[in-house]
Amino acid sequence: MRVGIIGVGLTAFRPSTPEYSWKELMFEAASRAYADAGVDPRADVGSFVTCAEDYYEGFGIFDEFVPDQLGAALRPTCTVSGDGLQGLANAFMQIQTGLIEVAVVEAHSKISDVLTPIGIIEHGLDPIWNKPLGFHPYVVAGLEAAAYLRATHTPTKALDAVVSKTRRNALRNPIAAYGAAVDMDHVAASEARFEPLRSLDISGPADGAVVLVLASDRAARRLHANPVWIRGVGWASDSPSLETRDWAGATYARLAAGMAYRLAKVRRPSSEIDVAEVDDRFSYKELQHLEALGLAKSGEAGKAALRGAYAADGRLPVNISGGSLGCGNVFEATGLHRAAEVALQLRGDAGSRQIDGAKVGVAQAWRFVPSATGAVAVLGAGP
Amino acid sequence: MTFLERTTDARRYRAWEGNMEADYIYTSGLAGQRFFVALRDEGRLLAARCTACGLDYLPPRIFCEECFAELTEFVPVPPEGQVASLTVAHQDRTGALASPPQVWAFVTFKGVRGGLLHRLLATPDAARPGMRVHIRVRPREARTGTIADIEGFEPARSTK
Repeated sequence: MRVGIIGVGLTAFRPSTPEYSWKELMFEAASRAYADAGVDPRADVGSFVTCAEDYYEGFGIFDEFVPDQLGAALRPTCTVSGDGLQGLANAFMQIQTGLIEVAVVEAHSKISDVLTPIGIIEHGLDPIWNKPLGFHPYVVAGLEAAAYLRATHTPTKALDAVVSKTRRNALRNPIAAYGAAVDMDHVAASEARFEPLRSLDISGPADGAVVLVLASDRAARRLHANPVWIRGVGWASDSPSLETRDWAGATYARLAAGMAYRLAKVRRPSSEIDVAEVDDRFSYKELQHLEALGLAKSGEAGKAALRGAYAADGRLPVNISGGSLGCGNVFEATGLHRAAEVALQLRGDAGSRQIDGAKVGVAQAWRFVPSATGAVAVLGAGP
Repeated sequence: MTFLERTTDARRYRAWEGNMEADYIYTSGLAGQRFFVALRDEGRLLAARCTACGLDYLPPRIFCEECFAELTEFVPVPPEGQVASLTVAHQDRTGALASPPQVWAFVTFKGVRGGLLHRLLATPDAARPGMRVHIRVRPREARTGTIADIEGFEPARSTK
Protein backbone atom coordinates (compact mmCIF):
# COMPACT_ATOMS: atom_id res chain seq x y z
CA MET A 1 0.00 0.00 0.00
CA ARG A 2 1.27 3.45 -0.88
CA VAL A 3 1.04 6.30 1.63
CA GLY A 4 1.13 9.91 0.52
CA ILE A 5 1.20 13.41 1.96
CA ILE A 6 -2.04 15.08 0.90
CA GLY A 7 -1.95 18.21 3.06
CA VAL A 8 0.75 20.61 4.26
CA GLY A 9 0.19 23.27 6.93
CA LEU A 10 2.83 25.60 8.31
CA THR A 11 2.72 28.67 10.50
CA ALA A 12 5.31 31.37 10.05
CA PHE A 13 8.48 30.66 12.02
CA ARG A 14 9.25 33.60 14.29
CA PRO A 15 11.68 34.31 17.15
CA SER A 16 8.68 34.91 19.41
CA THR A 17 4.90 34.63 19.08
CA PRO A 18 3.48 36.53 22.03
CA GLU A 19 -0.03 36.75 20.62
CA TYR A 20 -0.58 32.97 20.34
CA SER A 21 -0.54 30.23 22.91
CA TRP A 22 1.17 27.02 21.81
CA LYS A 23 -2.26 25.44 21.28
CA GLU A 24 -3.25 28.26 18.95
CA LEU A 25 -0.05 27.78 16.96
CA MET A 26 -1.02 24.13 16.48
CA PHE A 27 -4.57 25.17 15.56
CA GLU A 28 -3.30 27.51 12.85
CA ALA A 29 -0.97 24.91 11.27
CA ALA A 30 -3.72 22.28 11.46
CA SER A 31 -6.30 24.60 9.90
CA ARG A 32 -3.92 25.30 7.03
CA ALA A 33 -3.15 21.60 6.51
CA TYR A 34 -6.82 20.60 6.50
CA ALA A 35 -7.64 23.38 4.04
CA ASP A 36 -4.75 22.27 1.83
CA ALA A 37 -5.88 18.63 1.92
CA GLY A 38 -9.57 19.43 1.71
CA VAL A 39 -10.37 17.26 4.73
CA ASP A 40 -12.58 17.72 7.77
CA PRO A 41 -10.67 16.48 10.81
CA ARG A 42 -13.92 15.63 12.62
CA ALA A 43 -15.04 13.30 9.84
CA ASP A 44 -12.12 12.28 7.62
CA VAL A 45 -9.11 11.69 9.89
CA GLY A 46 -8.59 8.36 11.64
CA SER A 47 -5.50 9.06 13.77
CA PHE A 48 -3.51 12.00 15.11
CA VAL A 49 0.21 11.79 15.96
CA THR A 50 1.89 14.64 17.83
CA CYS A 51 5.60 14.96 18.52
CA ALA A 52 6.67 16.65 21.73
CA GLU A 53 8.74 16.43 24.86
CA ASP A 54 7.22 17.52 28.17
CA TYR A 55 10.25 19.59 29.15
CA TYR A 56 9.96 21.86 26.12
CA GLU A 57 6.23 22.26 26.79
CA GLY A 58 6.62 23.15 30.46
CA PHE A 59 4.05 20.70 31.77
CA GLY A 60 3.69 16.96 32.22
CA ILE A 61 1.86 14.37 30.09
CA PHE A 62 1.79 16.45 26.91
CA ASP A 63 -0.46 13.99 25.06
CA GLU A 64 -3.34 14.81 27.42
CA PHE A 65 -3.23 18.40 26.16
CA VAL A 66 -3.57 17.47 22.50
CA PRO A 67 -6.94 16.64 21.09
CA ASP A 68 -9.03 19.80 20.83
CA GLN A 69 -6.68 22.09 18.89
CA LEU A 70 -6.25 19.45 16.17
CA GLY A 71 -9.89 18.50 15.83
CA ALA A 72 -8.99 15.21 17.49
CA ALA A 73 -11.31 15.10 20.51
CA LEU A 74 -12.58 11.55 21.17
CA ARG A 75 -10.34 10.15 18.39
CA PRO A 76 -7.20 7.99 18.42
CA THR A 77 -4.19 10.15 19.33
CA CYS A 78 -0.66 9.40 20.44
CA THR A 79 2.49 11.39 21.11
CA VAL A 80 5.94 10.46 19.89
CA SER A 81 8.62 11.85 22.17
CA GLY A 82 10.86 12.78 19.29
CA ASP A 83 11.31 14.76 16.12
CA GLY A 84 8.35 15.24 13.80
CA LEU A 85 9.95 12.99 11.21
CA GLN A 86 9.80 10.13 13.71
CA GLY A 87 6.09 10.93 14.02
CA LEU A 88 5.77 10.84 10.23
CA ALA A 89 7.28 7.34 10.22
CA ASN A 90 4.78 6.35 12.93
CA ALA A 91 1.77 7.66 10.98
CA PHE A 92 3.10 6.01 7.79
CA MET A 93 3.11 2.66 9.59
CA GLN A 94 -0.35 3.21 11.10
CA ILE A 95 -1.76 3.62 7.59
CA GLN A 96 0.22 0.60 6.36
CA THR A 97 -1.61 -1.57 8.92
CA GLY A 98 -4.87 -0.91 7.08
CA LEU A 99 -6.51 0.18 10.33
CA ILE A 100 -6.21 3.90 9.50
CA GLU A 101 -6.82 5.57 6.13
CA VAL A 102 -6.00 9.19 6.91
CA ALA A 103 -3.54 10.23 9.64
CA VAL A 104 -2.30 13.60 10.82
CA VAL A 105 1.22 14.35 12.08
CA GLU A 106 1.95 17.46 14.11
CA ALA A 107 5.08 19.01 15.63
CA HIS A 108 5.70 22.49 16.98
CA SER A 109 8.00 24.78 18.92
CA LYS A 110 6.98 27.50 21.37
CA ILE A 111 10.53 27.87 22.56
CA SER A 112 10.02 31.59 23.21
CA ASP A 113 7.87 30.55 26.18
CA VAL A 114 10.87 28.74 27.69
CA LEU A 115 12.90 31.06 29.89
CA THR A 116 15.77 28.56 30.27
CA PRO A 117 16.06 26.63 26.98
CA ILE A 118 19.76 25.90 27.42
CA GLY A 119 18.96 24.39 30.83
CA ILE A 120 16.52 21.97 29.17
CA ILE A 121 19.09 20.93 26.60
CA GLU A 122 21.59 20.49 29.43
CA HIS A 123 19.19 17.96 31.00
CA GLY A 124 19.95 15.75 28.00
CA LEU A 125 23.49 15.26 29.27
CA ASP A 126 24.28 12.19 31.35
CA PRO A 127 23.58 13.25 34.96
CA ILE A 128 26.51 11.28 36.42
CA TRP A 129 29.29 11.46 33.85
CA ASN A 130 28.75 14.74 31.97
CA LYS A 131 26.33 17.20 33.50
CA PRO A 132 28.17 17.69 36.83
CA LEU A 133 31.11 19.11 34.87
CA GLY A 134 29.02 22.20 34.20
CA PHE A 135 29.56 22.85 30.51
CA HIS A 136 27.22 24.50 28.03
CA PRO A 137 25.54 21.70 26.06
CA TYR A 138 26.73 23.23 22.76
CA VAL A 139 30.23 22.16 23.85
CA VAL A 140 29.13 18.78 22.46
CA ALA A 141 28.58 20.41 19.05
CA GLY A 142 31.95 22.20 19.27
CA LEU A 143 33.74 18.93 20.01
CA GLU A 144 31.89 17.16 17.21
CA ALA A 145 32.50 19.96 14.71
CA ALA A 146 36.22 19.89 15.50
CA ALA A 147 36.33 16.10 15.15
CA TYR A 148 34.40 16.18 11.87
CA LEU A 149 36.49 18.92 10.27
CA ARG A 150 39.72 17.22 11.30
CA ALA A 151 38.74 13.69 10.25
CA THR A 152 37.48 14.80 6.84
CA HIS A 153 40.10 17.52 6.19
CA THR A 154 37.24 19.96 5.70
CA PRO A 155 38.33 23.62 5.87
CA THR A 156 36.41 25.94 8.23
CA LYS A 157 35.75 28.05 5.14
CA ALA A 158 33.31 25.38 3.98
CA LEU A 159 31.16 26.25 7.02
CA ASP A 160 31.17 29.90 5.91
CA ALA A 161 29.81 28.75 2.53
CA VAL A 162 27.05 26.68 4.17
CA VAL A 163 25.86 29.56 6.36
CA SER A 164 26.00 32.14 3.58
CA LYS A 165 24.13 29.91 1.10
CA THR A 166 21.48 28.76 3.56
CA ARG A 167 20.61 32.11 5.10
CA ARG A 168 20.33 33.62 1.62
CA ASN A 169 17.99 30.78 0.64
CA ALA A 170 15.77 31.79 3.56
CA LEU A 171 15.23 35.20 1.98
CA ARG A 172 13.02 33.45 -0.57
CA ASN A 173 11.01 31.59 2.07
CA PRO A 174 8.24 33.79 3.50
CA ILE A 175 7.98 31.72 6.71
CA ALA A 176 11.70 31.96 7.60
CA ALA A 177 12.71 33.88 10.73
CA TYR A 178 16.40 34.42 10.00
CA GLY A 179 16.80 35.06 6.28
CA ALA A 180 19.70 37.44 5.62
CA ALA A 181 22.21 38.37 2.94
CA VAL A 182 25.13 36.95 4.87
CA ASP A 183 28.55 36.82 3.17
CA MET A 184 31.20 34.24 3.92
CA ASP A 185 33.31 37.03 5.46
CA HIS A 186 30.52 37.86 7.91
CA VAL A 187 30.46 34.26 9.06
CA ALA A 188 34.23 34.09 9.46
CA ALA A 189 34.23 37.35 11.42
CA SER A 190 31.37 36.41 13.74
CA GLU A 191 32.15 35.87 17.42
CA ALA A 192 33.82 32.64 18.50
CA ARG A 193 31.42 30.51 20.55
CA PHE A 194 32.33 26.84 20.74
CA GLU A 195 35.40 26.68 18.53
CA PRO A 196 35.51 25.98 15.66
CA LEU A 197 31.87 27.16 15.76
CA ARG A 198 31.13 30.88 15.69
CA SER A 199 27.88 32.64 16.46
CA LEU A 200 26.67 32.46 12.81
CA ASP A 201 27.31 28.69 12.68
CA ILE A 202 24.54 28.20 15.25
CA SER A 203 20.83 28.43 14.37
CA GLY A 204 18.68 30.79 16.42
CA PRO A 205 15.47 29.69 18.16
CA ALA A 206 12.07 30.04 16.54
CA ASP A 207 8.42 29.29 17.28
CA GLY A 208 6.29 27.55 14.70
CA ALA A 209 4.05 24.58 14.00
CA VAL A 210 3.88 22.07 11.17
CA VAL A 211 1.01 19.70 10.33
CA LEU A 212 0.97 17.10 7.56
CA VAL A 213 -2.03 15.05 6.45
CA LEU A 214 -1.17 11.52 5.28
CA ALA A 215 -3.45 9.16 3.39
CA SER A 216 -3.48 5.71 1.83
CA ASP A 217 -3.58 5.71 -1.97
CA ARG A 218 -7.25 4.66 -1.83
CA ALA A 219 -8.20 7.48 0.54
CA ALA A 220 -6.17 9.95 -1.52
CA ARG A 221 -8.18 9.00 -4.62
CA ARG A 222 -11.44 9.28 -2.72
CA LEU A 223 -10.46 12.76 -1.47
CA HIS A 224 -9.33 13.82 -4.98
CA ALA A 225 -5.92 14.65 -3.52
CA ASN A 226 -2.63 15.12 -5.34
CA PRO A 227 -0.30 13.20 -3.05
CA VAL A 228 3.46 13.30 -2.66
CA TRP A 229 4.36 9.69 -1.94
CA ILE A 230 6.31 8.61 1.11
CA ARG A 231 8.61 6.12 -0.58
CA GLY A 232 10.68 5.23 2.46
CA VAL A 233 11.22 6.04 6.12
CA GLY A 234 14.02 5.11 8.50
CA TRP A 235 15.28 5.97 11.94
CA ALA A 236 18.27 4.99 14.07
CA SER A 237 20.31 5.85 17.13
CA ASP A 238 24.04 5.72 17.70
CA SER A 239 25.39 4.89 21.17
CA PRO A 240 23.64 7.23 23.61
CA SER A 241 26.77 7.93 25.60
CA LEU A 242 29.01 10.77 24.47
CA GLU A 243 31.99 8.56 25.18
CA THR A 244 31.27 5.62 22.87
CA ARG A 245 29.59 7.28 19.90
CA ASP A 246 31.10 8.16 16.54
CA TRP A 247 32.29 11.77 16.88
CA ALA A 248 33.33 12.39 13.30
CA GLY A 249 30.50 10.87 11.26
CA ALA A 250 26.72 10.95 11.74
CA THR A 251 26.27 7.18 12.08
CA TYR A 252 22.62 7.57 13.13
CA ALA A 253 21.88 9.38 9.85
CA ARG A 254 23.76 6.79 7.77
CA LEU A 255 21.75 3.96 9.33
CA ALA A 256 18.42 5.80 9.10
CA ALA A 257 19.10 6.62 5.44
CA GLY A 258 20.04 3.01 4.73
CA MET A 259 16.65 1.90 6.06
CA ALA A 260 14.72 4.56 4.13
CA TYR A 261 16.65 3.92 0.89
CA ARG A 262 16.00 0.16 1.15
CA LEU A 263 12.28 0.76 1.42
CA ALA A 264 12.33 3.38 -1.37
CA LYS A 265 14.59 1.20 -3.57
CA VAL A 266 17.08 4.06 -3.87
CA ARG A 267 20.41 2.48 -4.80
CA ARG A 268 22.51 5.47 -5.84
CA PRO A 269 21.27 8.36 -3.72
CA SER A 270 23.73 10.86 -5.22
CA SER A 271 22.21 10.41 -8.69
CA GLU A 272 18.60 9.60 -7.74
CA ILE A 273 17.84 12.42 -5.26
CA ASP A 274 16.90 15.82 -6.72
CA VAL A 275 16.52 17.91 -3.54
CA ALA A 276 17.66 17.41 0.04
CA GLU A 277 16.62 19.01 3.29
CA VAL A 278 19.03 18.01 6.07
CA ASP A 279 19.43 19.11 9.66
CA ASP A 280 21.75 22.13 9.81
CA ARG A 281 21.13 23.46 13.31
CA PHE A 282 24.91 23.81 13.45
CA SER A 283 26.52 24.58 10.09
CA TYR A 284 28.85 21.54 10.04
CA LYS A 285 25.81 19.27 10.45
CA GLU A 286 24.72 20.03 6.87
CA LEU A 287 28.00 18.68 5.50
CA GLN A 288 28.22 15.78 7.95
CA HIS A 289 24.63 14.75 7.19
CA LEU A 290 25.10 14.98 3.40
CA GLU A 291 28.00 12.55 3.70
CA ALA A 292 26.03 10.24 6.01
CA LEU A 293 23.14 10.22 3.51
CA GLY A 294 25.46 9.13 0.70
CA LEU A 295 24.87 12.43 -1.11
CA ALA A 296 28.59 13.22 -0.91
CA LYS A 297 31.63 11.04 -0.34
CA SER A 298 33.28 11.32 3.07
CA GLY A 299 35.32 14.52 3.14
CA GLU A 300 33.85 15.79 -0.15
CA ALA A 301 30.80 17.75 1.10
CA GLY A 302 32.83 20.74 2.25
CA LYS A 303 34.68 21.03 -1.06
CA ALA A 304 31.40 20.70 -2.97
CA ALA A 305 29.83 23.39 -0.76
CA LEU A 306 32.70 25.74 -1.61
CA ARG A 307 32.07 25.07 -5.33
CA GLY A 308 28.39 25.99 -4.89
CA ALA A 309 27.18 22.45 -5.55
CA TYR A 310 24.39 22.75 -2.93
CA ALA A 311 22.99 26.10 -4.08
CA ALA A 312 19.60 26.35 -5.79
CA ASP A 313 21.31 26.14 -9.20
CA GLY A 314 23.92 23.60 -8.06
CA ARG A 315 24.23 19.87 -8.66
CA LEU A 316 22.09 19.05 -5.62
CA PRO A 317 20.00 21.85 -4.07
CA VAL A 318 20.29 21.48 -0.26
CA ASN A 319 18.20 23.29 2.33
CA ILE A 320 16.47 25.49 -0.20
CA SER A 321 13.94 26.17 2.57
CA GLY A 322 16.63 28.17 4.33
CA GLY A 323 17.31 25.28 6.70
CA SER A 324 17.38 25.84 10.41
CA LEU A 325 20.13 28.43 10.05
CA GLY A 326 17.76 30.57 8.00
CA CYS A 327 14.30 29.52 9.19
CA GLY A 328 15.21 29.09 12.87
CA ASN A 329 15.54 26.13 15.20
CA VAL A 330 11.99 24.87 15.73
CA PHE A 331 13.15 21.97 17.92
CA GLU A 332 10.89 18.90 17.53
CA ALA A 333 9.24 20.44 14.44
CA THR A 334 12.57 20.62 12.59
CA GLY A 335 12.38 17.35 10.64
CA LEU A 336 8.66 17.67 9.88
CA HIS A 337 9.28 21.15 8.48
CA ARG A 338 11.87 19.63 6.14
CA ALA A 339 9.44 16.93 4.99
CA ALA A 340 6.87 19.67 4.37
CA GLU A 341 9.40 21.63 2.31
CA VAL A 342 10.32 18.60 0.20
CA ALA A 343 6.61 17.89 -0.34
CA LEU A 344 6.05 21.48 -1.52
CA GLN A 345 9.05 21.21 -3.88
CA LEU A 346 7.78 17.94 -5.36
CA ARG A 347 4.29 19.42 -5.81
CA GLY A 348 5.75 22.46 -7.55
CA ASP A 349 4.36 24.70 -4.80
CA ALA A 350 7.62 26.14 -3.44
CA GLY A 351 7.07 29.64 -4.84
CA SER A 352 10.14 31.62 -5.83
CA ARG A 353 12.46 28.95 -4.43
CA GLN A 354 10.97 26.18 -6.61
CA ILE A 355 13.54 23.74 -8.03
CA ASP A 356 12.40 22.84 -11.53
CA GLY A 357 11.80 19.19 -12.24
CA ALA A 358 12.33 17.89 -8.71
CA LYS A 359 10.90 14.34 -8.62
CA VAL A 360 12.58 12.68 -5.63
CA GLY A 361 13.59 14.37 -2.41
CA VAL A 362 15.00 13.40 0.96
CA ALA A 363 14.28 14.96 4.36
CA GLN A 364 16.51 14.16 7.32
CA ALA A 365 16.15 14.93 11.01
CA TRP A 366 18.43 14.86 14.04
CA ARG A 367 17.30 15.22 17.64
CA PHE A 368 19.78 18.02 18.39
CA VAL A 369 22.54 18.04 20.98
CA PRO A 370 23.42 15.95 22.82
CA SER A 371 21.57 13.22 20.90
CA ALA A 372 22.84 10.80 18.28
CA THR A 373 19.40 9.96 16.92
CA GLY A 374 17.92 10.73 13.55
CA ALA A 375 15.28 9.92 10.98
CA VAL A 376 15.04 10.06 7.20
CA ALA A 377 12.14 10.14 4.75
CA VAL A 378 12.35 9.69 0.98
CA LEU A 379 9.51 11.41 -0.86
CA GLY A 380 8.52 11.06 -4.50
CA ALA A 381 6.32 13.13 -6.79
CA GLY A 382 3.04 11.64 -8.05
CA PRO A 383 1.14 10.13 -9.77
CA MET B 1 -6.11 33.63 7.87
CA THR B 2 -7.02 31.18 10.55
CA PHE B 3 -8.30 33.49 13.23
CA LEU B 4 -10.66 36.28 12.29
CA GLU B 5 -8.96 38.78 14.52
CA ARG B 6 -5.44 39.15 15.83
CA THR B 7 -4.13 41.08 18.76
CA THR B 8 -1.62 43.71 17.72
CA ASP B 9 -1.22 45.51 21.04
CA ALA B 10 1.55 43.78 22.98
CA ARG B 11 0.31 45.30 26.24
CA ARG B 12 -2.80 43.15 26.01
CA TYR B 13 -0.92 39.86 26.06
CA ARG B 14 -1.17 37.82 29.19
CA ALA B 15 1.41 35.36 30.47
CA TRP B 16 1.82 33.37 33.64
CA GLU B 17 5.29 32.61 34.93
CA GLY B 18 5.91 29.18 36.42
CA ASN B 19 8.38 26.36 36.61
CA MET B 20 8.52 22.59 36.72
CA GLU B 21 10.21 21.88 40.01
CA ALA B 22 11.74 18.44 40.14
CA ASP B 23 14.62 17.17 42.25
CA TYR B 24 16.41 13.88 41.89
CA ILE B 25 19.22 11.74 43.06
CA TYR B 26 20.98 9.91 40.25
CA THR B 27 22.22 6.49 41.33
CA SER B 28 25.53 5.65 39.74
CA GLY B 29 24.78 1.91 39.56
CA LEU B 30 27.05 -1.07 40.08
CA ALA B 31 29.64 -0.07 37.49
CA GLY B 32 29.56 3.58 38.56
CA GLN B 33 30.07 2.48 42.18
CA ARG B 34 33.23 0.55 41.24
CA PHE B 35 34.54 3.44 39.15
CA PHE B 36 33.89 6.26 41.59
CA VAL B 37 35.17 4.37 44.65
CA ALA B 38 38.42 3.59 42.79
CA LEU B 39 38.65 7.20 41.69
CA ARG B 40 38.04 8.51 45.21
CA ASP B 41 40.23 6.01 47.10
CA GLU B 42 43.00 5.29 44.60
CA GLY B 43 42.82 8.20 42.17
CA ARG B 44 42.68 5.90 39.15
CA LEU B 45 40.28 5.12 36.30
CA LEU B 46 38.64 1.72 35.78
CA ALA B 47 37.12 0.26 32.64
CA ALA B 48 34.69 -2.67 32.38
CA ARG B 49 35.93 -5.60 30.30
CA CYS B 50 33.93 -7.69 27.88
CA THR B 51 36.04 -10.82 27.50
CA ALA B 52 33.86 -12.10 24.63
CA CYS B 53 34.33 -8.98 22.47
CA GLY B 54 37.78 -8.06 23.80
CA LEU B 55 36.54 -4.55 24.67
CA ASP B 56 37.24 -2.42 27.74
CA TYR B 57 34.50 0.17 28.24
CA LEU B 58 35.05 3.65 29.66
CA PRO B 59 32.82 4.79 31.33
CA PRO B 60 32.41 1.28 32.71
CA ARG B 61 29.04 -0.44 32.46
CA ILE B 62 27.75 -3.88 33.35
CA PHE B 63 26.50 -4.74 29.87
CA CYS B 64 28.29 -4.94 26.54
CA GLU B 65 27.01 -2.62 23.83
CA GLU B 66 28.06 -5.14 21.16
CA CYS B 67 27.04 -8.58 22.48
CA PHE B 68 24.76 -7.65 25.42
CA ALA B 69 26.76 -9.85 27.83
CA GLU B 70 26.87 -8.97 31.52
CA LEU B 71 30.28 -7.53 32.45
CA THR B 72 31.82 -8.26 35.83
CA GLU B 73 35.53 -7.66 35.29
CA PHE B 74 37.08 -4.23 35.85
CA VAL B 75 40.55 -3.28 34.60
CA PRO B 76 42.71 -0.18 35.03
CA VAL B 77 42.75 2.41 32.23
CA PRO B 78 46.24 3.34 30.95
CA PRO B 79 47.40 6.49 32.77
CA GLU B 80 48.12 8.43 29.59
CA GLY B 81 45.43 9.36 27.06
CA GLN B 82 45.20 11.38 23.90
CA VAL B 83 42.99 14.36 23.05
CA ALA B 84 40.64 13.10 20.32
CA SER B 85 38.82 16.41 19.97
CA LEU B 86 38.66 19.73 21.77
CA THR B 87 36.62 22.90 21.79
CA VAL B 88 37.19 26.32 23.29
CA ALA B 89 33.92 27.50 24.85
CA HIS B 90 33.32 31.23 25.10
CA GLN B 91 30.06 30.70 26.99
CA ASP B 92 29.54 29.04 30.34
CA ARG B 93 26.76 26.56 31.10
CA THR B 94 24.16 29.33 31.39
CA GLY B 95 25.16 31.01 28.14
CA ALA B 96 26.99 33.88 29.88
CA LEU B 97 30.39 34.97 28.57
CA ALA B 98 33.13 32.68 29.85
CA SER B 99 36.18 34.72 30.70
CA PRO B 100 38.71 33.27 30.33
CA PRO B 101 37.32 30.80 27.77
CA GLN B 102 37.03 27.18 28.86
CA VAL B 103 38.83 24.38 27.06
CA TRP B 104 36.94 21.06 26.92
CA ALA B 105 38.33 17.85 25.51
CA PHE B 106 37.27 14.34 24.70
CA VAL B 107 40.14 12.04 25.60
CA THR B 108 40.64 8.45 24.48
CA PHE B 109 42.96 5.81 25.91
CA LYS B 110 44.81 3.13 23.96
CA GLY B 111 42.92 -0.16 23.86
CA VAL B 112 39.83 1.33 25.54
CA ARG B 113 36.37 1.66 23.96
CA GLY B 114 35.07 5.12 24.85
CA GLY B 115 36.90 7.78 26.79
CA LEU B 116 36.18 10.74 29.03
CA LEU B 117 35.00 14.27 28.42
CA HIS B 118 36.48 16.82 30.81
CA ARG B 119 38.25 20.14 31.11
CA LEU B 120 41.60 20.45 29.42
CA LEU B 121 43.94 22.24 31.82
CA ALA B 122 45.81 24.11 29.11
CA THR B 123 45.43 27.53 27.52
CA PRO B 124 43.51 27.64 24.21
CA ASP B 125 46.77 28.36 22.38
CA ALA B 126 48.52 25.35 23.88
CA ALA B 127 45.61 22.96 23.35
CA ARG B 128 46.04 20.65 20.37
CA PRO B 129 44.15 17.60 19.18
CA GLY B 130 46.38 14.57 19.51
CA MET B 131 48.22 15.91 22.56
CA ARG B 132 49.01 13.39 25.28
CA VAL B 133 47.36 14.01 28.65
CA HIS B 134 46.65 12.42 32.01
CA ILE B 135 44.05 13.14 34.64
CA ARG B 136 44.70 15.52 37.49
CA VAL B 137 42.72 14.37 40.52
CA ARG B 138 41.84 16.51 43.49
CA PRO B 139 43.68 15.86 46.78
CA ARG B 140 42.43 12.70 48.54
CA GLU B 141 40.64 14.63 51.31
CA ALA B 142 38.70 16.72 48.76
CA ARG B 143 37.44 13.74 46.75
CA THR B 144 33.82 12.66 47.19
CA GLY B 145 33.42 9.93 44.59
CA THR B 146 32.02 11.88 41.64
CA ILE B 147 33.33 12.88 38.21
CA ALA B 148 34.28 16.21 39.79
CA ASP B 149 37.04 14.40 41.72
CA ILE B 150 38.91 14.84 38.46
CA GLU B 151 39.99 18.47 37.99
CA GLY B 152 40.66 17.87 34.34
CA PHE B 153 43.27 16.60 31.92
CA GLU B 154 46.73 18.09 32.00
CA PRO B 155 49.46 17.72 29.40
CA ALA B 156 51.51 14.57 30.03
CA ARG B 157 54.91 15.26 31.53
CA SER B 158 56.68 13.46 28.71
CA THR B 159 55.44 16.06 26.21
CA LYS B 160 55.90 19.14 28.41
